[in-house]
Amino acid sequence: MAENNKVVIIGANGTMGAGAGCVFAGAGYTVTLLARSSDKAAAALLDVQNDARADAIAERISLGTYDDDLARTIGEAGLIFESLAEDLPLKKQFFALVDKYRRPDAIVATGSSGLSIAAMAAGRSESFRRNFLGIHLFNPPHVIVGTEVIPGPDTNPAVLKTAIAMLTKRLGRKVIVTEDRPAFVGNRVGFKVLNETAQLAAEHGVAFIDYLIGPHTGRAMAPLATVDLVGWDVHKAIVDNVFANCKDEAHECFKMPAYMNRGLEQGCLGDKTPERGGFYRREGVEVFVLDPKSGGHVPLIKPAPIEFVEGMKRHHRVGRYSDALKIFADAKGAEADLCHRVVLGYVSYALNRVGEVAASPADVDTIMSYGFNWAPPSAIVDLLGAKNTVRMLERLRLPVPKAVEQAAVNDAKLFVGGVLQYGRTFVG
Amino acid sequence: MTKPAPVYVLGGAQTDFARNWSKEGKHFVAMMREATLAALEATNIEPREVETSHVGNFAAELYAKQGHIGAFFVEIDPAFSGLPTSRHEAACASGSIALIAASAEIEAGRYDLSCVVGVEQMKTVDSTTGGDYLGTAAWYEREAKGIEFPFPKLFGRLGDEYDKRYGLKDEHLAHISAVNYSNAKRNPNAQTRNWFMSESHAQHESKFNQVIGGRIKISDCSQVTDGSVAVFLASEKFASAWAKRNGLKLEQIPRILGWGHHTAPLEFATKVAESKDDAYVLPHTRQAILDAFKRAGIAGASELSGIETHDCFTTSEYMAIDHFGITKPGESWKAVEEGVIELGGKLPINPSGGLIGAGHPVGATGVRQMLDCHRQITHVAGDYQVEGAKKFAMLNIGGSGTTSCVFVVGN
Repeated sequence: MAENNKVVIIGANGTMGAGAGCVFAGAGYTVTLLARSSDKAAAALLDVQNDARADAIAERISLGTYDDDLARTIGEAGLIFESLAEDLPLKKQFFALVDKYRRPDAIVATGSSGLSIAAMAAGRSESFRRNFLGIHLFNPPHVIVGTEVIPGPDTNPAVLKTAIAMLTKRLGRKVIVTEDRPAFVGNRVGFKVLNETAQLAAEHGVAFIDYLIGPHTGRAMAPLATVDLVGWDVHKAIVDNVFANCKDEAHECFKMPAYMNRGLEQGCLGDKTPERGGFYRREGVEVFVLDPKSGGHVPLIKPAPIEFVEGMKRHHRVGRYSDALKIFADAKGAEADLCHRVVLGYVSYALNRVGEVAASPADVDTIMSYGFNWAPPSAIVDLLGAKNTVRMLERLRLPVPKAVEQAAVNDAKLFVGGVLQYGRTFVG
Repeated sequence: MTKPAPVYVLGGAQTDFARNWSKEGKHFVAMMREATLAALEATNIEPREVETSHVGNFAAELYAKQGHIGAFFVEIDPAFSGLPTSRHEAACASGSIALIAASAEIEAGRYDLSCVVGVEQMKTVDSTTGGDYLGTAAWYEREAKGIEFPFPKLFGRLGDEYDKRYGLKDEHLAHISAVNYSNAKRNPNAQTRNWFMSESHAQHESKFNQVIGGRIKISDCSQVTDGSVAVFLASEKFASAWAKRNGLKLEQIPRILGWGHHTAPLEFATKVAESKDDAYVLPHTRQAILDAFKRAGIAGASELSGIETHDCFTTSEYMAIDHFGITKPGESWKAVEEGVIELGGKLPINPSGGLIGAGHPVGATGVRQMLDCHRQITHVAGDYQVEGAKKFAMLNIGGSGTTSCVFVVGN
């Protein structure tokens, strides 16, 4: 790999495939974009040029189709990056071909956002399995630098090391290594919160939940608007996968809400189906919001301001994050309870993944901060104070992660870094 | 004249220049706060030790409808309440004027520890409005009013003047752009660290690289940036005590070895007319450099390990190369062709990525350059470190070559 600068992207016409092509070509690799037809490969190149905002990136890119070019280009590549749909049999079918044509030293990576790496590698040659791993980029890859690297059961440690060095040094990624568990770390934690807010919206309404658990709670975008951006189909694939394959303390939070399943049946996928919409639907400048009870969209009425929410925003606006979190912690009432449950639930669930799927709190922080643009859970703990965090978690009957418990006992800070690293995640 | 008292640079911190603080729903005081609190932590200085603050800012009145910027320093920490603070403005050189004011006070013995903060929030407005605001750094009524993006056009004329006097190939400007973008990829705070750039992209006009004024394409331009930087300057008295408590020797701490400051006529046409018989296109900039060299006791650029220069446009870096004396006047292209200015070259320019790669929050740029000089001298610049750096210079320019500020930093 070190001396071979050639990268082949399989499934280059998807958003993530083109995004990966942009990232690799941008870092100076010679990239082949492979798709089912030459038209689709050409469309992928246009996407890459738009992402890079440069026609000249094409100088590093060639195009091809599976039928005509796969065998040859894979035979020359140092890295093969698979970015097909999240369909295990389809991926396995392509990996069989890759196994057949690849150089023995070529690294093979899947861009899957949560399927089993072991299942993908099963049945392949030993050489393939030793050189195979997951490289999970977040959307859009040319902007979001958080990246999960997932070794399979047989991945050669040297290959893992090479991949991490390449991603960190050449591609400028913020990398964590995760265990091969459904949805890895980022999506497991992120979609727990997103689906929980979707469940709460059934009772409390979409606009209210997006206001209450809005950007002031440490996220670039309100949660249900995020689900619209991601796409309801992608959301369902992730939460269904975790619900079916993980039995953890937040199992029920991964149950897809019935109203979302009904919406999906009617073709509501979020932003990618603008006419049907998702949680929101836009008609010119007018915004409509989903009524989960009826399944229809009604004109958006801004929720009435809540004192502690507005107070938090005022403090975030001037960079007084600990003051904002103090208002959050001290807030009383049903609305505050709801907000506490989701935000402290995030802290608890995220840091409880340490030892199971993430190696350290710092890794969880990195992926939530650089993959989701959410406040790192450890920074929330530090801003609330570890002891206070423990008290809040106990009151909410949420599991107290070991790392938080230790920070409380030792009166220590948990977040590695300072305000310059987490400040951007609190929105005023 | 007796030798002035030494001024030490203790270090500081900067915000990530890729951030968009309007999208974060933030006031610029949040930026000042993050940079200053991080600077206190990075330098192990207590808020109560700070005696004064000088804030560099260009146009908060326009971008944020807020004046009295110096007073915002007091908002950062309760310990700052009552401190003497002020704001300094000289367009893109505002940060350097704040540094000059702070260092002059330390030389005069008025204070022992000064916090210099640069701040600019620019993404509050669209690019055309922002371009118009930047026009106030020129003589607005004569050079900018009613002109879309006046500054690229003015710095395009700087290139034209070089072309007229000595000849200028755009490929050399494209190379300057590519070097800055490439260096920025090594700088974790650079605005463009994840952007695509190649020499070929910089060389050609295209849908994504349009001409926006004369010979200036988008790839020749610095960025519209939100950012704040805080740096501590100290007297020998404070620096000695500070060195002791941090286990350092005083000699290890970078000092401002020399400075230069000159102001040319505002209008670009007047500048060019004034210098028509001079070997240097911007002789006042040249003089600021010579003054800084003289005060630092160095014979020329060959004694420097690197330079952080004002590349608001590729033409301004092209100008800096011969004005620093790296080549003869008009021969900047030789240093570009020979790789002198690249990281690993004989005299790297803008290892940080400069204004083109790292970003250009106007009033903060001079302070950012000072912080980068400090990082280089103390060898903490990480992937963009110039190996073994001993002396660094910075050139910060306001307007179309109007205000020129130069510092030589070393230990």
